[in-house]
Amino acid sequence: MKLHEIVKNTETYVAERFPVEKMSYSAMVEKKEVPVHRVSWAYYMGGLALYFFSVQVVTGLLLLFYYQPTVSDAHASVEFITEHVPGGALVRNMHAWASSLMIGAVMIHLLTSFAMKAFAKPREITWVTGVMLLGITFALGFTGYLLPWHQVAVNATKIGLQSIEEVGQYLPGAMAEWPRIVKEIIQGEAAVGQATLSRFFALHVIILPLSIIGVLGMHLLSVQLHGMSKGIDGTPTRHEKFFPTFFMKDLSVWGVAFIILFVISLTIPFESLYSYPLFEPFNSKGSTPDGIKPEWYFYFIYYPLELLPYWVILVGSGLLGAILMGTPWIFKNTSRKTLQILAILAAIYLVVMTVFGEQIYHMFKA
Amino acid sequence: MSFRTASLPALILLIGFAALPDLSAYPEFQVYVAESTGRTVNCAMCHSNSDGPEGTGPGQIGRLNPAELERLGHARSAFQPGQEVDSPILNAFGNHIVTSIGKEKFVELKAAPAHLAELLPPDSDLDHDGIPDAREYLDGTHPVNRNDGNPILLFKHNFRTNFSSIILTLAATISGVWGIGHLLQGFSTASRLKDNDHDEENL
Repeated sequence: MKLHEIVKNTETYVAERFPVEKMSYSAMVEKKEVPVHRVSWAYYMGGLALYFFSVQVVTGLLLLFYYQPTVSDAHASVEFITEHVPGGALVRNMHAWASSLMIGAVMIHLLTSFAMKAFAKPREITWVTGVMLLGITFALGFTGYLLPWHQVAVNATKIGLQSIEEVGQYLPGAMAEWPRIVKEIIQGEAAVGQATLSRFFALHVIILPLSIIGVLGMHLLSVQLHGMSKGIDGTPTRHEKFFPTFFMKDLSVWGVAFIILFVISLTIPFESLYSYPLFEPFNSKGSTPDGIKPEWYFYFIYYPLELLPYWVILVGSGLLGAILMGTPWIFKNTSRKTLQILAILAAIYLVVMTVFGEQIYHMFKA
Repeated sequence: MSFRTASLPALILLIGFAALPDLSAYPEFQVYVAESTGRTVNCAMCHSNSDGPEGTGPGQIGRLNPAELERLGHARSAFQPGQEVDSPILNAFGNHIVTSIGKEKFVELKAAPAHLAELLPPDSDLDHDGIPDAREYLDGTHPVNRNDGNPILLFKHNFRTNFSSIILTLAATISGVWGIGHLLQGFSTASRLKDNDHDEENL
């Protein structure tokens, strides 16, 4: 292929993904329509994830006024927020609950978009940026988990970072050292300590949110340029206007989400879901309590990691990542029916591992 | 009184306590709660220090000053119920147990730790989270931490106590969504009318 042909093909590819002629208020808002069918509810999941992200930004900024990112004061500052700052317990609970709800919404959004074949041409970039957003969201969860500097936070982070180092045993020659170097770069020192907390804090409040805003901008632009995917086989018989009809419905969903989040945050402290010793300040010289494990949204990989050889999980995770990134090309010719079956199977796996992971672990480890 | 004279009785007390192993920690209660609930519990349920009373950390015997040792001695001699105690190695729940049932009964319960809950005052709720201390003991949750408890019971209690805030927030949210919705509807209608006028002018 000659150079001018490569350039021309690239131009065509980009023009199809970013049609500038549609980059107008009229095309992106006034004339935009949303298909109405039996799985239309799935169109609200992306907006819901965006809403919970907004809650995270607002509550996170409020927490920043009091939080101290030092190993000596982090836990005390979090306790001060919870016990002494007016509304502090509510804001902190909203931050904790909204993070879980955001990750839940992102996961449902990913599965429903997959089942609806929302990645098909010309929406490849929408899908790939969506997968990147999922990765950044998990990274936000992982880095945020360490910040309160309690027993479960520090010990779970140690386990997470240790698993990076363990990759080295499967690499040849000098490459075997690379994972350890990567771990120490993230960790910042020989063991999880002040340098780790500073790095995780910087990642959690600056680097990852800026990354998410950048990728989210591209994701939303792509969604607005191409509109909602039709979502079902055949042609949808009904459509509704995006503005104001769908947007108002979206707003109502956000209102319901806010009330649910508010009531949960006001009535159920996030900490009540775990045993209290896990929330004591981390003490490197004290005893480590039982029951250290990551947040619930990592159970789908945590329990298999505890049960299966590490290399199986590594290969599985690598494959899953590659399949997710390559979905628009791998499943280009797959029918929506098959995609729905795959999405349902993935959802069943996620639910079973999240809800019954511990029982399954004890069943096989007994 | 010089430090030397003040610390002498404390030293005697300390040596005395060290010679009586059954007067130190009572892991039987922790073991019972952990086994019956399946939850991770530690000494912090009753003690000031999560690693128990022995050692030199904060809230442990090795770090107590003479005044604190005196309070500890008083608590350890409270054999009958009804004596207010303030042991520095115990938290509010630990002291509450000694005050409520007395040291003698408490030591007897080592053989049947499940019965401790029956002997505690049924309406006592030290952390005001709506769950009685006796229930928290049986559930393996912290009786002096209002953020720790059975989530369903916490939900019921906090929903009742915050009912007016919830209703006000609900009303504000409904009004806000309704108002913004109508505002957007207005923008949309105005924009459509403007487009129609523009079309008519062009005709």
